[in-house]
Amino acid sequence: MSRLYDTVEPSVIDEDMLQRAVEEQGPKEEAGKLAKAEGIDFNDVTNLRLDFKNILKIDNLWEFTNLVKLQLDNNIIERIEGMELLVNLVWLDLSFNNIEVIEGLGTLTKLQDLTVYNNRISRIENMDNLKDLQVLSIGNNQLTELENLVYLRKFKKLKTLNATGNPFCENVETYKQYVVAYLSHLEFLDYRLIDEQSKVAAKEKYAMPIDEIIHNEEAEERKQQENEIKQKELQIHTKAYVEYLDGSSLFDSMYAEDSDGQRLNEMPGVDELLAGFKEKFLGVCQKIFEYGLSENEKRQAEVNQFWECVEEAKTENKEAGMKIIGAFFEERKRVLAELGTITDNQVIDDKIEAYQSQINELWDKLMSLELQLVDQLEDVIKDFERNMQEMVSTFLENVKGHLTQCRDLENMHHERMMEISIVTLEKVIKNELDDEITEELRMLFVDKDTIIGAVSSSHDLHLLKIDNKEDDIETRIKNWLSAMMEKIRNEEEIKRNRVRVVEINHQIDHFKEEIDNLDFLQGP
Amino acid sequence: MESASEESPGLVPTDLDTTEGADVTNDSSELTADIGEDQEGSSENVEGEEELSPDAEALKEELAKIVVHSPAIEKIEEKFDPAEFPDSYKNNLPKELLILQYSDNFRRQYVHLYRDRKPLFLNPVNECGVEKFVCTTINPTQLPYKELYDWDTAAEFVADYLDFETLDPPYELPTRLLSPTTVLKRQKGNCFEYSTLLCSFLLSAGYDAYVVNGYATKETCLADETREICPLLTKKEQKVEEAKKKELKKYTVKPPRDLQSKFEMKMEQRKIAAKEAEEAKRRQEEIERQLELEKPPPDPLYGLRIHTWILVLSGKREVAESFFIEPFTGLPYPVDSTNYLGIESVWNNTNYWVNMQDCSNGVQGLSYDLGDCTRWEYMFPGLDKPLLQIPEAEEDLMAGLDEEEDEDKEIEKHLDMPPTWVEPLKLSLKDFQMRCPLGKKSKLYKRAKLEKFAHYLMPDGLISRLSVYDDRELTDLMLIKEYYAHRQDKLHTKIHNHRTGWISEHFYPGRHRCLKEHQYKASAPAPENERTMIFYNEARVDGLKKRIETPLEMTEHFVNRDDFMFYKHVDFGKRQKKFGPQEGSGSGNTRPINKMIQKFHRNKSKQANEDIAELIFLISEDKIQISYHTEDARIVSSTREYIKPSNWEEKGATLKWESDQLHQTFQVDADIKSKKQVDIYQMMLHLLKCEDVCRERVRESEDEVREILNGRSKEDTESELEIGVYDTERNEKAKTHRKELERLQLEEKMRKQEMEIDYLAPFLAQIGDPEKVLRNQAFKLKEDCLNDLKQRLIDKANLIQARFEKETQELQKKQAWYQQNQVNMPKENEEDYLNYCSDAMFRIHILEVRLNRWVKVENLYY
Repeated sequence: MSRLYDTVEPSVIDEDMLQRAVEEQGPKEEAGKLAKAEGIDFNDVTNLRLDFKNILKIDNLWEFTNLVKLQLDNNIIERIEGMELLVNLVWLDLSFNNIEVIEGLGTLTKLQDLTVYNNRISRIENMDNLKDLQVLSIGNNQLTELENLVYLRKFKKLKTLNATGNPFCENVETYKQYVVAYLSHLEFLDYRLIDEQSKVAAKEKYAMPIDEIIHNEEAEERKQQENEIKQKELQIHTKAYVEYLDGSSLFDSMYAEDSDGQRLNEMPGVDELLAGFKEKFLGVCQKIFEYGLSENEKRQAEVNQFWECVEEAKTENKEAGMKIIGAFFEERKRVLAELGTITDNQVIDDKIEAYQSQINELWDKLMSLELQLVDQLEDVIKDFERNMQEMVSTFLENVKGHLTQCRDLENMHHERMMEISIVTLEKVIKNELDDEITEELRMLFVDKDTIIGAVSSSHDLHLLKIDNKEDDIETRIKNWLSAMMEKIRNEEEIKRNRVRVVEINHQIDHFKEEIDNLDFLQGP
Repeated sequence: MESASEESPGLVPTDLDTTEGADVTNDSSELTADIGEDQEGSSENVEGEEELSPDAEALKEELAKIVVHSPAIEKIEEKFDPAEFPDSYKNNLPKELLILQYSDNFRRQYVHLYRDRKPLFLNPVNECGVEKFVCTTINPTQLPYKELYDWDTAAEFVADYLDFETLDPPYELPTRLLSPTTVLKRQKGNCFEYSTLLCSFLLSAGYDAYVVNGYATKETCLADETREICPLLTKKEQKVEEAKKKELKKYTVKPPRDLQSKFEMKMEQRKIAAKEAEEAKRRQEEIERQLELEKPPPDPLYGLRIHTWILVLSGKREVAESFFIEPFTGLPYPVDSTNYLGIESVWNNTNYWVNMQDCSNGVQGLSYDLGDCTRWEYMFPGLDKPLLQIPEAEEDLMAGLDEEEDEDKEIEKHLDMPPTWVEPLKLSLKDFQMRCPLGKKSKLYKRAKLEKFAHYLMPDGLISRLSVYDDRELTDLMLIKEYYAHRQDKLHTKIHNHRTGWISEHFYPGRHRCLKEHQYKASAPAPENERTMIFYNEARVDGLKKRIETPLEMTEHFVNRDDFMFYKHVDFGKRQKKFGPQEGSGSGNTRPINKMIQKFHRNKSKQANEDIAELIFLISEDKIQISYHTEDARIVSSTREYIKPSNWEEKGATLKWESDQLHQTFQVDADIKSKKQVDIYQMMLHLLKCEDVCRERVRESEDEVREILNGRSKEDTESELEIGVYDTERNEKAKTHRKELERLQLEEKMRKQEMEIDYLAPFLAQIGDPEKVLRNQAFKLKEDCLNDLKQRLIDKANLIQARFEKETQELQKKQAWYQQNQVNMPKENEEDYLNYCSDAMFRIHILEVRLNRWVKVENLYY
């Protein structure tokens, strides 16, 4: 894309250029004067036009964080860069430049209209995050593969595409049919409405490959959905502190690091025992899991109810406050109107005095209302905390009870293991063993101490795992509770109160100031 | 009651009911005799007592002078011409005779067994004087009107369609029962005829309906509804939704401590309660007094007045519970209604049952299990009526014994009902739509009057008018409700409240401007007065729901607007009288606007601090006030106030900005960065634009009101009715179109006939229509034909020639006359003459052309 006036010196976006452009494109006339006097902040600018400036490199745009529309057309830009911070951009024009690769658009998630007409782009890519894209103009580029257009299928909102003037448009009919067939949600192609007939015809022609694509896409989507559901479930489970307890994860973890135990399991007769043990163990785990979920629901309900009530109280309080203030506003209107008509200074002074006392009264009322709310909330929060603590402790108790069952099971299992191992040891010693056992296992059956040590250590390991789980649950739920209570105290009790008090005082000050000013103006 | 046709002579006390009610007898002549005796007796009595004071003597003389004449009642039994009726009306079939005998037998037995009971209504004569059995008078006929398919609408139709006649005397069974066909024709009938007609309709619609003969209160017998509340006025009981009690949740905050004395509150409450109780008592007494006042006067014939009504039994057509229908009013009553005092018999087209239950307690507690022969004595056994349920086992036992024999016997024994002698009922669509005799009917209710009109009868589409009064004498008019149908302006209800003077009109959707309801004062219908307009806001682009106006205010309510505005209020100032030239045509004579208030809902996409809640344009003070929405956690809201620059009205002028003087603001959040001057300035420009727009809207609203009012007055004077596309009778366009089609068809037919005319036929007839035509005959025929044609052509030519000559002559004459009188001729005559000349020339020309053509044609043939 050679230019006739290549000789002109390329320029860079700098402060001066931006300042000039902003001023030029900013408000006019009186407003312009004001703006100049005050200065324009770059982050207030929403539209910016930098066309025909012979810009080579995009730079210095980071201050324009609120930019919605940016025009950089008719320059000699070679790379898309320096736009990572323009996250509010909706409209981007980069036409008539020398861009070769689509890149650097990853953060512009709000982009709806992208124009890269007349560049040197050879591939549509790197646009995965532009979910809102509606208009894409990529005509007069170096796109060669029609298949590349399939990439645009992922933009569900894309309505308008302009791709004419690319190498793959040589055969216009094929190009059009291909686009219409593959991008079925498209409404305009090359600025023309796609009519129903051609849609049907194109669809027929490419029915097979499209069906396949749709099938794949659907499968993908389903998979994603399933994943999401699973993720969500896991989240809920985690919140209930019983994640993975519906499966054998705890049981597996007991044996995961227990190499001795694994080896011991290969002893004859352990299979059955282990199966029984596992079944019982999992049964208890399942119980914990279910209990945890139900407790979680209860806790959620409790929390929701708490918030509901708090919100209710706050709205009630707010309404009461607004009513008082509304009444005062009426009063203020009346007083101000009255003051306007009276000329007698003495009367005015009296009136103003009365008004000031009314202001004080208003302050009293609002503050007492606020104090009342503070008291109410404090009570409720205390209640809530007590209840929650109770709930948590019951939950922990029950979980512990269940885990104790697990331990009992483990203990029983351990005893049986002991028996079996001793029997096996005797057999090994007497060489009466029917089956061949692995060398590793045989290593354990050296003497009684070794085997007992191995079994015991396996047992200890298992108990440790169970203890760990218990500790984990306990600490997590306690942390959650304290964090929540902390937050409630901070947000609801302290912060809210402060904001409200400031607000009331501010308003009262405003009223006072107003009447003082009026006083001053009226004064002799 | 043949005597009813006689004139009842002699002295009869004016109020028959009150004096002699108890021992009135059948014959009116006897009655008068009785009264005569009574009077003689009393006068003797008076003579006997010598010590009468002179005053009393004088009074007696005075009284003697008064001669009371009975009002001459000229009651002539309507006579029917037997020729009008088919044979079945005039004669009885053998089977009918049999039935008559049978029923006569039944009656004899009945009278014999129950001597103290009233005679039964069995075989009245019909319009031709022939005795007919009542059951055969019912002829279930389905008519092609869907209103007659349901009991309520059918009953309403019968009540509307007929005018009622009372029985005379009210305690005697009539001797004559007209057939339903005649009743439909006359549009008049007594309760028996009403019931028979309605029963015919109901039976045909599949209801288990019966005619009930019995006794009823005076009000019911006379269809006197003046003590009933009009059914249109009884409001449907609105479900009073109890305010949801605030649920006491676990964490609901405790209310602030109540520092009021409980004791004082209690005392206060007690006081209030006492007051309320007193009030309630007083109200109750008032109601009772009212009721007492409105109670009907005691009726001496109570319990003797014969009435007939309809009984619908449950079971068929999804009727869940048996009920009565009062034929005079068409209203349903429960089977224990106090309006009905006793039942003698019930019947329909299949059977006749006599009530054997005790009616001393009215109809309450009667059983309607017609199969129970201890309670209902049937006339025909074994018809398809529900028999009393006999336990299965017994039946089996019986069946085992003599099943066949029994069946045979029964078949033999049973006398089945002969077919009805009544012709199928007929009702033309026009009559059906007229509903009431002459299309009008008015009814009196308690403190209300209801007038009904047939659809399309009144030129303004009125179908009913309900006048509500405050007193029972119907003198103090409270309000009038008028219902309309088929109006082109969609008006359906108009309520004129005479107390407040407000009129409210209700419209169906589909009007221009989507007006739904319009309330205004009758005394001030012009624009800029008090009025309320309610709109179908769903159909309006601007979402306007309600507009309330007073002379100096206008308030508009909106729903679902994109700009979140829901309220707009305008204060107008007094019109100033302007001297000198007026500003412009648009603002010529409009009311000046003092203040405009707009209120907005919260727009969630904006910050509360930026989202305008209320926008006030104080036009008279050149100020704009804004208050913003309050944030969720706050109780005060930010405000902003602009004072318009002095030169804001100049067009195109740049507005100078002095921030301190023109703009004031209060921000709730003191920490927030204040806005830039540019933004504030631009906001002011925007607000000025908004103000212009708002003002324009107000003017538009005013124009709209004016337009609607103009339209309304035009509609009221025109009041055209809409006619359905399928209404072939009324739709003039369709009618003419149909007529045109018919005419075309007829023409087509004529043409076809003409085509079929054999022009040889007359000639053939001359030679006697021979089977075969001989050769010479054929030649002769041809000659004749041609000669005939020639003759005709010549005749025609002559005719044309003659006309041509006549025209020419006349023209010449006229011309000559014109030449003579041309000088002193008025201009009009001259014009006439010229017109005539051109006409005549045209005719002559035409005739000439025809003649020429004729000559050519003739030449062609010869």
